[in-house]
Amino acid sequence: MPTDLSALRARVENAAKVLGRCWPLQSYIAANPLAGLEKLPFDEAVAEGQALYGGRGYPSVAQLRAAWDAGAINANHLADRLEAYGFTESPAHLLDRMEAATPPSVNRSNDSLLNRVMAKWLAVFVDQGQATWTMPRRQEGFYAAWRAVAPYDTTLAHRDCLHDLPERPLEALAAALSDVEPSQWERVLRHHLTALPGWASFIKWRSQDRHDAWQAAHPITMTGYLAARLHTARAIGLPVAPDGVAEAAVGASRNGRDRPAMAAPWLEAWEATYREQLLHDVQAAAATIHTGAAPDRPKAQLVFCIDVRSEVIRRHVEQAGPYQTFGYAGFFGLPMQFQPYDSDNRITACPPIVDPKHRIQEVCGDHRPDAAAAHERWVALGRAWQRLIKSLKHNVAAAFGFVEGSGGLFGVAMAARTLIPGWLRTQHQAWAKRVPTSDTFCDLSLDRAPAADHADGLPVGLSAEERSYYAEAAFRLMGWQQFAPVVVFTGHGSETVNNPYASSLDCGACAGHPGGPNARILAAICNDPAVREVLSERGIVIPEDTVFLAAEHTTTTDAVRLFHPPTLTERQAKIVDQLRRDLHTARVQAAAERAPALQGARRSHAVADTARRAADWAETRPEWGLSGNAAFIMAPRALTAEFSLDGRAFLHAYNWQTDDRGTALETIMTGPLVVGEWINMQYYFSTVDNAVYGSGSKITQNVVGNVGVWQGNGGDLMTGLPLQSLQVDDATPYHHPLRLLAVVYAPRARVSRVIERNAQLRSLFDHEWMALTVLDPEHSNRRYVYQPGGTWATPSTESRDDQDTEPALAL
Amino acid sequence: MSDTSHNIEHTLHPLKKIEIIVKGKREHFVQDLLEKSGVSGYTIHRNVAGKGASGFHEGHLLFNDEASLVMFFAVSDQSKIQAIINGLSPLFESSSGVMFVSDTKVVRLTKFLSAEGQQDDGS
Repeated sequence: MPTDLSALRARVENAAKVLGRCWPLQSYIAANPLAGLEKLPFDEAVAEGQALYGGRGYPSVAQLRAAWDAGAINANHLADRLEAYGFTESPAHLLDRMEAATPPSVNRSNDSLLNRVMAKWLAVFVDQGQATWTMPRRQEGFYAAWRAVAPYDTTLAHRDCLHDLPERPLEALAAALSDVEPSQWERVLRHHLTALPGWASFIKWRSQDRHDAWQAAHPITMTGYLAARLHTARAIGLPVAPDGVAEAAVGASRNGRDRPAMAAPWLEAWEATYREQLLHDVQAAAATIHTGAAPDRPKAQLVFCIDVRSEVIRRHVEQAGPYQTFGYAGFFGLPMQFQPYDSDNRITACPPIVDPKHRIQEVCGDHRPDAAAAHERWVALGRAWQRLIKSLKHNVAAAFGFVEGSGGLFGVAMAARTLIPGWLRTQHQAWAKRVPTSDTFCDLSLDRAPAADHADGLPVGLSAEERSYYAEAAFRLMGWQQFAPVVVFTGHGSETVNNPYASSLDCGACAGHPGGPNARILAAICNDPAVREVLSERGIVIPEDTVFLAAEHTTTTDAVRLFHPPTLTERQAKIVDQLRRDLHTARVQAAAERAPALQGARRSHAVADTARRAADWAETRPEWGLSGNAAFIMAPRALTAEFSLDGRAFLHAYNWQTDDRGTALETIMTGPLVVGEWINMQYYFSTVDNAVYGSGSKITQNVVGNVGVWQGNGGDLMTGLPLQSLQVDDATPYHHPLRLLAVVYAPRARVSRVIERNAQLRSLFDHEWMALTVLDPEHSNRRYVYQPGGTWATPSTESRDDQDTEPALAL
Repeated sequence: MSDTSHNIEHTLHPLKKIEIIVKGKREHFVQDLLEKSGVSGYTIHRNVAGKGASGFHEGHLLFNDEASLVMFFAVSDQSKIQAIINGLSPLFESSSGVMFVSDTKVVRLTKFLSAEGQQDDGS
């Protein structure tokens, strides 16, 4: 490869660094839209985001005013922060001044001809089954397919220049840049990538994903996209390097520490107000943690995902009976793809920072052939019906007659779906009970099965050593000490219809999929006698009378469904029967607790209302998802069990006394906590500037290519969350845009060591993308607040010294 | 061991060796560069721990494959190694990572010089 071409490849990589990644709708991942700028301090990064995308980086004056008026910002904290930033005016005056200083919204319309043309070709290329007529030659890759059709694009005035383009994208890109100084390449490329940041972020994700079947079939690269875009600019008659672009370096617009955003002290005071109350409650609970007697053996233990929504249902499960609950990452530590029964679809069911390493398949067992046959029959019938409707709707000859003939029937169906969705759901559920679910007759391919491996895929099944390893990891990370007769791994998913963002409500740790399969697999592993024997040798003794079950919590309705259990003893069966009843009680209580926050819901009819939301095709907000998230607590449940966290905290079980070497803590902080920061930042930025970092109102969104949404009928791919997931209405916020507070109950020196050994964590804390407070059980549960740079401060209420600053490492 | 192996004096041929250490998220880029540069093969060590300008990076994290470091090494002639250097130098202007180039010797020269660089496809 010639030298200048290999350098150009690196320039493309560098230019794309400012972009985050955007996942497709089927596996929506809540990620920081400014992930590409996380190496900068938060304040500088949001200023850079403003320069690159025109997005606001701090809460708006209206959001701050609403929080101030509602008492969510404590006056003392605000006075403290304002003084620290050198502001001397009264809060009311400052808000007025900020309002006056807010620049008029700049119309950064991306509706230029160049953007429209590129969005058009990208949409037709990346289509994942929405289009009936697909783009020709997609299998050759984006650049090749575009090169074949672009010379006939009549929107391009100078399209003749596209006839003799180089065959290879890198050479084509070099040709397009031939008039640009190599020293300016990176800036020019960045300009073009940030012109349609949503599409570019999607390409970035797809080109880096090794397991995406669509990418394997229709490859697209950043180089191919840029080559097409720059030549399209030429064909329109635009300069490849517009005036001023060459001077625009990243960091040129930095809002440095000497000139902080006026909203920064307000945000910090808002965060401090929330955190102070939370830490006060946790610390009070910590003071009593050792005084109680050893707990009795619970009847059942339920492991939920760390997701903030689990906190509400966990509290009500604990209140419903002698149950203990834990929080663990909802993929249950299994880095895998899951292939459901009767499907070619391979679902990546682990977080985006973990590469899948195994494939587990659901295969038909021989223990219930009748159930399998019934399932096959109903599924075949359903598929045939869907195919028939689709072909009638899409067939040129049949479409008109179909509409004429079936209009009345579809009209009645539409009226029913609109007026009585709850009743329809009940009828559908009654019908669905006849269809055996796959968990009742399928086995999971847990054993290694090299014969089932695909050349392009992952090893199918798990070795004996791997099975023991994942089971051990789960119990070690949660600091498990005592096993109940029944242990239930409980994944979660949502229930919603007509919702492109359905996967954003599923389990984030399972890459936007329901967590039930992962729960079933870990339960099956833990019921394996060979695994138990190995665990016993390693000091984790599971009593013979303990059985592991799997369940799935539907966050929309708070219903918890137990999957088909293994053979149970009489005692276990009794416990499970009682647990089913108590889970229903917990569901009623949890739904009632959530009802006031959901507009139109009544506490007395909360269950019916959640069921209606799950089935209503006109419902823009089936549930609040992770809205409200603001903290991530790594501690035993005893520290959080006695008070409500309002569904705002991720809860990961952690027991400092069983983790002398800190490996469990390191795994939690480098894995689940980092994913928590991604989620938190997505909610934060989608809230502070929904038009730029979110995806606007659902009312005007359209799904494009089954991969994403855009507003209206074209333009950039919208990457964030819709308005309805964050706001009660246009003027009333629901989500409080606060950066994540990580709380660890562990010796401070241990936490320091973890941070010191992991540059990614240190960068996130030092650059204030999230905050950290340690409650040190070896120092009377004293609070230590991590300071950027690696020192610790003790709050003035706890220490005679206002800033008891000590080195981060006591080594 | 056969008797003859003692008597054969293998000829050592001089070549260049490049070692590259980058963050996990750059693995794809570096691997692609090596494929395109025409080296006949390379070795990847994943989950490498170590300390550099941005601090210590732990290896073998259970739930994070992006944060740890990846190390590559490849052996080839001067021109192909130079192409890799040229392709990496701009990357290191804004991303952390290091590369080391050294003289090395190999016995089976053809094993290291047989490949042509992969062409880009149309993506």
